[in-house]
Amino acid sequence: MLTAVKNQLRVCLLSLKYNIMREMVNKVTFLTNVCFMVLNNAALLVQWFILFRLREDVGGYTLREIMLLWGLTAASFGLSHILFARVFSLSELIIKGKLDAYLVQPKNVLVSVITSSTDISAIGDLLYGVALACACSPGIGGFFLFLLFTVTGTIVFTAFALLIGSLSFWFLRMDMLENQAVMGMISFATYPDGIFQGISRFLLYYIIPVGMAVWHPVHMINSFHAGTLFTVLGYALLLLTAAVCVFYRGLRKYSSGNLMTARM
Amino acid sequence: MQAIRVENLSKTFRVKKKEKGMAGSIKAILHPQTEKIQAVNGVSFQVEEGEMLAFIGPNGAGKSTTIKMLTGILYPDGGRVEVLGIDPTKKRKQLAYQIGTVFGQKEQLWTHLTPYDNFRFFGAIYDLSEREAEVRIEELAKRFELGTFIDTPVRNLSLGQRIRCEIVASLIHKPKVLFLDEPTIGLDPVVKENIRSLIMQMNREEHTTIFLTSHDVGDIEKLCRRIIIVNAGQIVLDDSMKKLKEHYLQGKGVEDSAASDVSLEDIIMDVYKAEGRTAAV
Amino acid sequence: MRKYMVIYRSVLLENLQYAANVAMGFLGYFVFIFIFVKLWGYMYRTPEELIAGYTKEQMIWYVMMTEMLFFGSNAASVAREVAGDIRGGNIAYLMNRPYHYTLYILAKYTGEWSVRLPMYVALAVVIGMVMVGPLPHFRLTAVWAMALCVILGLTINAVFKMCISLFSFWIEDATPFQWLYDKLILVVGILFPVEIFPQTLQPLLKLTPIYTVCYGPAKLIVDFSPEKCLEILVVQILYLMVGCEMMFLIYRKGVKKLYVNGG
Repeated sequence: MLTAVKNQLRVCLLSLKYNIMREMVNKVTFLTNVCFMVLNNAALLVQWFILFRLREDVGGYTLREIMLLWGLTAASFGLSHILFARVFSLSELIIKGKLDAYLVQPKNVLVSVITSSTDISAIGDLLYGVALACACSPGIGGFFLFLLFTVTGTIVFTAFALLIGSLSFWFLRMDMLENQAVMGMISFATYPDGIFQGISRFLLYYIIPVGMAVWHPVHMINSFHAGTLFTVLGYALLLLTAAVCVFYRGLRKYSSGNLMTARM
Repeated sequence: MQAIRVENLSKTFRVKKKEKGMAGSIKAILHPQTEKIQAVNGVSFQVEEGEMLAFIGPNGAGKSTTIKMLTGILYPDGGRVEVLGIDPTKKRKQLAYQIGTVFGQKEQLWTHLTPYDNFRFFGAIYDLSEREAEVRIEELAKRFELGTFIDTPVRNLSLGQRIRCEIVASLIHKPKVLFLDEPTIGLDPVVKENIRSLIMQMNREEHTTIFLTSHDVGDIEKLCRRIIIVNAGQIVLDDSMKKLKEHYLQGKGVEDSAASDVSLEDIIMDVYKAEGRTAAV
Repeated sequence: MRKYMVIYRSVLLENLQYAANVAMGFLGYFVFIFIFVKLWGYMYRTPEELIAGYTKEQMIWYVMMTEMLFFGSNAASVAREVAGDIRGGNIAYLMNRPYHYTLYILAKYTGEWSVRLPMYVALAVVIGMVMVGPLPHFRLTAVWAMALCVILGLTINAVFKMCISLFSFWIEDATPFQWLYDKLILVVGILFPVEIFPQTLQPLLKLTPIYTVCYGPAKLIVDFSPEKCLEILVVQILYLMVGCEMMFLIYRKGVKKLYVNGG
């Protein structure tokens, strides 16, 4: 069991290394990609400077909390797109029958698939997120919490994309929904939860799990609460388990490239 | 021992039907209609260890679907599959260690890496230690004559060189069964011949069972001692190459089979025409 | 001129097929608007409050209009296509055809948004009526002037995005520059009207393309006045001329470079 995990990890790391090597072929492009993503994210802070000119708080958040929120979202988004970039185009792989190569390998299909590509600009997101968190001077404890929640946030984002993407085994046209759902989630995750009330608030905490990925964590970095921590950890684990189950359930219905040819 | 056992294997696909144009699209959303396509319908056969088998049929006959069920890519709807005594649906990973696959039209290599780095990657996939991988790569590189281009990125290789690398990549772990899906597609005659003799050699030296699909009569004639023809998801012919001609001519009512001049291509065409087109896709 | 019309028409027909796909984009639009309805709902403490001279309804309608232009035009397709043609080498065939490559792309793109945008207009009106309420002081008689500004604005935007993509003649990947341009438009044009920025910055912002691409058309829809309209139109025409001149120049230089290097 332990050697199996070790071997799997060896393949994943090699895959990551080769992916980055591919992008490093042209160093200038690689660096502009990363740097511009940082600038790109930083540009959006202007929005908050404007909003904080109008009121001292936005949805109950101070500028510092907004920066934590952004830092956490960018870091989680970045990490998930560095390690598991393929999960965000899983629908396309399923619909076009591109899982074959992973199914004939003696490794975990899901892990092999989602680690098979890397989004280079996401390195910029991750760097930006961590830098922003440092700028908030959260203290040693706060910083460790930030790192922990970056990991749970990555799990929630990845599992959510996996869940939606896996529905492609049953329904066509999920590729566009997958994209929209993930982008929508990121959009919500860059605004304070205080502006949402009632049903939308409930939905955003439990169904589209923005609350679990970033809002709870931001509150906890400010004032720690053990109960909430367990809720977040439990939720991340539960969502991941559900998503993995749906993926494997759907894999039985996988049709390879055969549907494509039949459709023509 | 038997390398492959297939009993009554079936697979159906549900395909959404859509009429042409905008009206058709809207109709398909409001009231989706699906159509069943029986890709594989009650197929049974066995393959002995060390055998070289041609599994052929017209486009859409169910060849690829069958291969994909044998390798664990697709989940069968009915029937039983055993490859090397392992059920691909239950122990996919365990089986994967013992089989190799080459899909001529799909590439498994990373194009920006050299063949050598690719082989190292596949070595890791099959849990070979650095040392084992090194030895095996050297051995295969010599046999497949990769020496001159083993350190050139794959995207700069010719198609023939690439296919050779694809085959080597799928042999890195000494598979007992090798599935080849149109390995010589798009290659020139000289390279084709070269690939064929390498496959022959594999079979001879490592006793690898070869399961081949191809539209190339040359591949089949030169490589295989047995042929299975499928059409519309069913086996329509299963015979040894030696006896095939004899049986075919007997069926036609020709007494003196030796005197008659009939090629393998003629026989295949005849079988395709007779059985096919009834359930054309 | 006629050949560009033909390009326009053929792509228009082709894109009608994809109408269903666009419906998915509606979801993304809805999410944005939903967030902004909530955000401005929080920022305005009382219903009568004015922020930068805008009522709450006007503020939300403003962002609805700019986002509508952004989603409805999908200018990213221009950038992708041009960059793809240049990097993929397709440009070598396209530039020898009996039309000007850049105008071909513009005509094609106009055909694309002619289908998309009306759908987003309809969607925006429905969402606006339900979630915000009707726009106060909307001048129905001036719709034609607004439409003119919108068309010019979208064209200018496409010209600028194409200029950036044409840099692919020299650099391998121009996408990061597209991000930056898009973000500039987003932060300074789409999310807020110019009036919300500090007084000292406003004249500066009016010099940027944002004023003509995004702020101008949306401002006219939300708060129409003939003087403003004339001002924006004049600036737009100036921008279009300068932008096109720049586009032709970059293209000429790029093609020359291609000939020197033999493709």
